[in-house]
Amino acid sequence: MNVLQVSRLTKSYGPTPVLQGVSLSLAPGERAALMGPSGSGKSTLLNCVGGIDRPDGGEIEIEGEKLSQFDEEGLCRLRREKVSTVFQFFHLLPTLTASENIEFPLQLTGMAENERLERVAELVEEVGLGHRADALPDELSGGEMQRVAIARALSIRPRLILADEPTGNLDSTTGDAILDLLKRVSESHEIAMLIVTHSPVVTRICDQTFEMSDGVIASS
Amino acid sequence: MTKAPRTGRLIWSRMIWRYWLKEAKLTAMLVGILALGIAVFLSVRLANKAAVTGFGLFTESIVGQSDFVLRSPAGKLDERMLGELRKASGRTPLGIFPVLEVSGAVEGDSKGALLRLVGVDLVALQNAAQYLEGESANTGGNGIDGESTNQLLGSSKAVFVGEGFVENRNVSAGDTIQVIVDDQIRKLVIEAVLPDSPNVASVPPNLILMDLPGLQALSKDQNKISRIELRIPPGASAETNRETSFAVLTDFAAEKDLILETPEDQKSSVTQMSAAFRLNLTILSGLALLVGVYLITQAMEASVVKRRAEIAVMRSLGVTPSEIKRAWILEALVLGFAGSVLGIIVGRLLAMGMVGAIAGTVNTLYYETTTTAITLGMGEILFCLVFGTGASVLAGWIPARDAAATPPAQAMRHGTRSGGLKLLRFWPLGIVLFLTGVGAAFLPPWETASGSVIAIGGYFSSVLLVLSSSVLIGLLFGPVSRSLGRIGKSSAAFRYAASQLRKPGGRHRLTAAGLAAAIGMSAAMAILVASFETTLTSWIQQLLKADLYVSAPGMSSVTNENTISKSTWQGIEAMPGVAGMDRLRIHRISMEGTRAFLGGSDYNQNSKRYLQLIWLDEPEDTSPQALLTKVDGVPSAWVSGPFNRVFGLGKGDVFEVPTPQGPQKVRCEGVYAEYGSETGTVMVSRSFTSEWFADDRLSRMSVYVDDGVDPAVVLSNLQNHFPTLVARTNLRIREESLRIFHQTFAVTYALEAIAVLIAVAGLGLALAGLLLERRRELVTLKSLGATRREIATASMWEGVGLSLVGLSGGLLLSFALGWVLIHVINPQSFGWTLTYQIPWGAFAFLTAVTILCAAVVAWSVGYRNAEVRSDRAAG
Repeated sequence: MNVLQVSRLTKSYGPTPVLQGVSLSLAPGERAALMGPSGSGKSTLLNCVGGIDRPDGGEIEIEGEKLSQFDEEGLCRLRREKVSTVFQFFHLLPTLTASENIEFPLQLTGMAENERLERVAELVEEVGLGHRADALPDELSGGEMQRVAIARALSIRPRLILADEPTGNLDSTTGDAILDLLKRVSESHEIAMLIVTHSPVVTRICDQTFEMSDGVIASS
Repeated sequence: MTKAPRTGRLIWSRMIWRYWLKEAKLTAMLVGILALGIAVFLSVRLANKAAVTGFGLFTESIVGQSDFVLRSPAGKLDERMLGELRKASGRTPLGIFPVLEVSGAVEGDSKGALLRLVGVDLVALQNAAQYLEGESANTGGNGIDGESTNQLLGSSKAVFVGEGFVENRNVSAGDTIQVIVDDQIRKLVIEAVLPDSPNVASVPPNLILMDLPGLQALSKDQNKISRIELRIPPGASAETNRETSFAVLTDFAAEKDLILETPEDQKSSVTQMSAAFRLNLTILSGLALLVGVYLITQAMEASVVKRRAEIAVMRSLGVTPSEIKRAWILEALVLGFAGSVLGIIVGRLLAMGMVGAIAGTVNTLYYETTTTAITLGMGEILFCLVFGTGASVLAGWIPARDAAATPPAQAMRHGTRSGGLKLLRFWPLGIVLFLTGVGAAFLPPWETASGSVIAIGGYFSSVLLVLSSSVLIGLLFGPVSRSLGRIGKSSAAFRYAASQLRKPGGRHRLTAAGLAAAIGMSAAMAILVASFETTLTSWIQQLLKADLYVSAPGMSSVTNENTISKSTWQGIEAMPGVAGMDRLRIHRISMEGTRAFLGGSDYNQNSKRYLQLIWLDEPEDTSPQALLTKVDGVPSAWVSGPFNRVFGLGKGDVFEVPTPQGPQKVRCEGVYAEYGSETGTVMVSRSFTSEWFADDRLSRMSVYVDDGVDPAVVLSNLQNHFPTLVARTNLRIREESLRIFHQTFAVTYALEAIAVLIAVAGLGLALAGLLLERRRELVTLKSLGATRREIATASMWEGVGLSLVGLSGGLLLSFALGWVLIHVINPQSFGWTLTYQIPWGAFAFLTAVTILCAAVVAWSVGYRNAEVRSDRAAG
């Protein structure tokens, strides 16, 4: 069963159509790059898949569950259990330390403290941040912040990670390291990834690439 | 050269005006907060004014304003003095109008409201047209016909009353009313109703006008008058006549040992007595405004932070920092002006509700007054406009400066979190302010030219302590955040909320500072009230040892002159079951131009029980016989705490008190505590006052019943035999005393509630600003799976955390402020020594209400702001 199945998705902001019948699918552990110029609808597609935004038409299925059947609470539960997001600007909670940021989604699920702390310790080591676990976000470099964001995304052991320009705010060396990390965790945990990017470099870790233009997938 | 004004207009119209329209609710709230501060301040000021200007209008409304008043320092004057005065004035054109004023009460009035029966020489008034020319005196030909006036001449039954009287009591001309004068019921007939005239002061609703001889007969004050009012005829030579008359009257007053004063002198010397009370209220209302200023700073600052990106764009387009600063100051100015105008309107309405409570307190503690219509003068309007606008500009100054100083690059950065006053982060400043505040408390009071004592050091100390708390409050965030973090370790919302307080931003500090100021001031007032209540209760418990208390009606007013005749009090004494009594006669006197009481007391010598005073400076002998002694022919006296403070006379001092027999020397043997009145009292044995005043009546008495006799039985018996007297059991009088006490603080309670209300509103405003600033964080929370409710819950815990910081700081501040109020401001302003008492129950209530309000407000703000459009907030 596909982790993600998007069928004929449409979305408009006012009179402006942003998505015009987008369809795609991802199998477990599969990584896809979503490319295209600004305004082509990449971020909107990501927001719809993540349940942050609602499409006007079409359907999104995550592991066979149709998002259109979820209410707000259901979408929140979906994000807690199956879908994580990694942002270009990291979006760490600035008042929480690195380890607290990673722990936060687990607290939302109500996981027991011992189990939580164990998993956070594993993730901190996995993304190579053992020495920076107690640092606040503004004490971290861009690369370190993105590692924390990836660890946070991994913390709930999602089936799908949505990444919005994950290397867009990083230098090339750090960006390469982050891509390697994404590839490694995807393979080791069998997590599907949909990565929005402008950078062709990102495609090196992807199994397929979707080109978007004017709200439709022009090629794949 | 024309660039600056054009740019200013552009910023104004495109940024500020449009922002207001877009954020209409926020703008309305901002204007509303300022308006509330101004309204509270103005209403207290107006109500104060209306409550005290009601003094002394009894004859003003009848004969118009006198030029001079002659009165005795020891109560009433002998009428025969009028002949001597006419002789002394010779050919000087001087209108002489004798006046007698007597207390009374309407029979059956459960509230015991005091009436003022005024007797004037109606014949003299009718023949005095030349003195009343140009004014519309009520009995000088304005609506009351001559026939009605003739009905009053010499009558001890026919009266005139004002429109207020007939409205309040639902009576009309021709009706008979029953009035108690002293302990006798008198039937009076309303001959006519004096119409209010636009040109003279309105007739007070508690005034009953009679012909002088009629009232003298009614009150058994034959040949007695209260004062002589004097008028100079108007006209070209009025000023010359006034000077001549003044010289003649000064000589006459000196020769006869009388007091000569103008009505204005009289009014100002009396209203001066309540100056400290009114100043206290004004300062309290000013504090509400101060809390409002905190909030304006906060809101202005929030608007700068919200529009930081816009400012950056403007800067990058070439707008100068000073242009931006000017625009923001203009914004503060306009908001301040709008808030002030609204505040003036609301304040005028609020004053109407407040004036009754203030007048009630003034009546109980200081002097008789009737509430007059509230008048809003141009002076007050201008003051509020300048003060409100000025406060707003002051509050907006620092945010405006920050707006101008923000570098475009910093402002455009994502995730910039700043704001608040940088000064609040510098805790050593707080220590300096605190120590200076403590030092200021030890400054001596300031005595004004009019002799009023202002606890300037105490007030200065209070302001410094409030400011120090605003800085030091930052130190409390750490412990509160750690405690919250520990309590809610497993809750994501709790963890997130606690983390926001771990390193508080300027906005957090400013919010907590505003809350601490409001809570601190309210809690300090609660400490004052509790200390007052504890002291008063213990004073009452020690003082009220008798079983029954008997007085003439209207006794709760400080100026009540109703008395109990000798035959009546002897009748009570002889009643079965009565073991003995303390007897008290109070006479009103003037010393050094200041009003005081001369009390004559007999303490019960028939049993072991008698009045026990609480001593501030204890005499060697406190037994019932102590006051009967004379040393070197000088009677012993005890003086009250307020007397000791006002006149500076204490134990061992020999001084003179005025009496109809001339000044009498007394020796102070001790100072006793007195919390029932601020007018000083000298207490001597009644055997002396009876002789000096040729008066054997009583003002009130305390009755002790025989052992084993039920006081209720004696009370019932007493009420049956003497229905005109007010008799209460020990328990009832204690309840009555506490009722009057709570009435005195009614306005204070309202002001406290308003201050806390404003502070909680500020908390909501601050959280709304914080959440708007953290919009991207909210999107992150949503992307992590947090529901709208969970975001609202996190906001609620943040609000609760903030309120806990504000509460902790506020309560700590209140201990210090309470100390200053009780040990500095109160003794210096009122001469009252109170026992410091912390009202833990009231504090618990205040804490619960504040946290509850904060939780509700913060949750609502969080819930509302958790709805973020992903396409607007992200990225």
